[in-house]
Amino acid sequence: MTDEKSSGAARKPLRRTIRGGRPVFFADPATDKVLNMVITLASEVWALRERVMAMEALQVRTGSLGATDVDDYDFTPEQEVRLGGERKEFIDNLFRVLQEQVEAAAAKSPSAREHVKRQPGVFGARVSAVSKKPKKKSPAKKPSAKKKSRR
Amino acid sequence: MLELKHELKLRKTRDEKARMNFVSGLRAHVLMDMANGMRAVWDADVAPEFRKRHRRDPKDGPEVHKAMKPNEYFKFYSSMRVTAQDMVWQSVLGPLERQRADLKAKAQDLDRRVGLGSLNLKPGFEVPRSVTAVDVHLMSGNYDGEYEPDDLAAGAVYDNGLAVFSFGLMGQNLDDLGQSIAGFIRLKYPDFKPKKILDLGCTIGHNTGSWKDTYPEAEVHGVDVAAPCLRYAHARAQAQGRAIHFHQMNAEQVEFPDASFDVVFSSMFLHEVPRKGIEKVFKEAHRLLRPGGLMLHMELPPNSQLSAYEAFYLDWDSFYNNEPFYKPFRDMVPQEVCARAGFDPKKYVQYVVPSRGGYGEKIWSESVNQQDTVDSDKTGRLAEGVRWYCFGAWK
Repeated sequence: MTDEKSSGAARKPLRRTIRGGRPVFFADPATDKVLNMVITLASEVWALRERVMAMEALQVRTGSLGATDVDDYDFTPEQEVRLGGERKEFIDNLFRVLQEQVEAAAAKSPSAREHVKRQPGVFGARVSAVSKKPKKKSPAKKPSAKKKSRR
Repeated sequence: MLELKHELKLRKTRDEKARMNFVSGLRAHVLMDMANGMRAVWDADVAPEFRKRHRRDPKDGPEVHKAMKPNEYFKFYSSMRVTAQDMVWQSVLGPLERQRADLKAKAQDLDRRVGLGSLNLKPGFEVPRSVTAVDVHLMSGNYDGEYEPDDLAAGAVYDNGLAVFSFGLMGQNLDDLGQSIAGFIRLKYPDFKPKKILDLGCTIGHNTGSWKDTYPEAEVHGVDVAAPCLRYAHARAQAQGRAIHFHQMNAEQVEFPDASFDVVFSSMFLHEVPRKGIEKVFKEAHRLLRPGGLMLHMELPPNSQLSAYEAFYLDWDSFYNNEPFYKPFRDMVPQEVCARAGFDPKKYVQYVVPSRGGYGEKIWSESVNQQDTVDSDKTGRLAEGVRWYCFGAWK
């Protein structure tokens, strides 16, 4: 686990777009993209079902799960942060097919590139619980540096 | 998702919480990541195409809108934003349905137990058609939906919905803009000590309370047309220990005497009012203020002070979010509306106030002396780095 994390951080992320584009079958190419999202979502929902089923089976086996335990449970702040990061990844992944158009735009125009690579981050940890992983400290400097020059 | 911090908050099952978390995350994705992506697509694809065809830059928001409309990324951004908006309210309706009776009992209990402030409803009050015609910002049931006597469900939809909608950017108590702006006025004008404060179109009073916190000695009133929101506002204020007086009145015709207030405030209100109504609201504000009093409206920035792209970006709600008066309001020139209502143009004010919760006390308080320009993708836009825009005039 540790090994995967440290080596992953140093590497350039694997490309997840398809060079040469993807085949289109419907009259409106958007329909193909929506289908992609729906199927991605279905696979995530199924993964979740299997995980929940496995967890419940384990709990029942040890006798540690009561009837309303799951509904009554609140995540700890640490768990919220972790979930927030995973949720962001889940959503990014679900709509990855749309990111291709943005990346093509960024490749074409320097100002488009600026908009894409701009990291929010001004509000730091407050939003992190819902939308961000609590790493990546350095890129967050950019917007605040920009603010100062404007003043 | 943000958890409300008062006792009226709804209880949710694990799955309901998860759905709310998902919608919050989805909105953050659309309004931040995809908003940046759409700007990139504009810069790289749509704007160059526009310049090639017209041999000039677009002159306003509608020209950008027209050029963007056929673009696939714009369609996805818009369709996903509409879906997310709908899902915000839907995520609340499930748990609320189960707890309607409980909510009513809690409100009655607060009245008995706390008894702060007052609730002044008018039986037979007619809610204006500008509010009832459509479900504002796609909120099922709207502000005024009533299903039984003493109903306050619509207020609960709005409060719990905003917690999902705002992904933390409206503050832990959904009053960041109230806290930022009321506090800003106190810092900037230390000698100004208002005794009576009025909040127009206050809905559930989430920003009305900030004025009470900022000026604890003042008598604070809120008016709105929607009874269920006012009932909820009264209960919510009591749950938070604030004495606020809520009245069912139309901001275009407020039933208080001339020169009876030191501050007349509104937040996110004018853009839901037709132009003719806005003119009346400003005249009422002028009438209600004592000499030396302040009218202040927190709003989306006006198109006259924005670039064509930023104007297009903010106009989106007018076309796709059931807020038909949003663009007409933003097309008005604030200085001119204030002057028409009788305010001295020399006494016009406008401020860009950094979100107090977001930027922290230091940057927020420094803005009293150092003002940023209005045109920015951070002004009035619900994204990280939001800065609240407000304008008005001294009487």
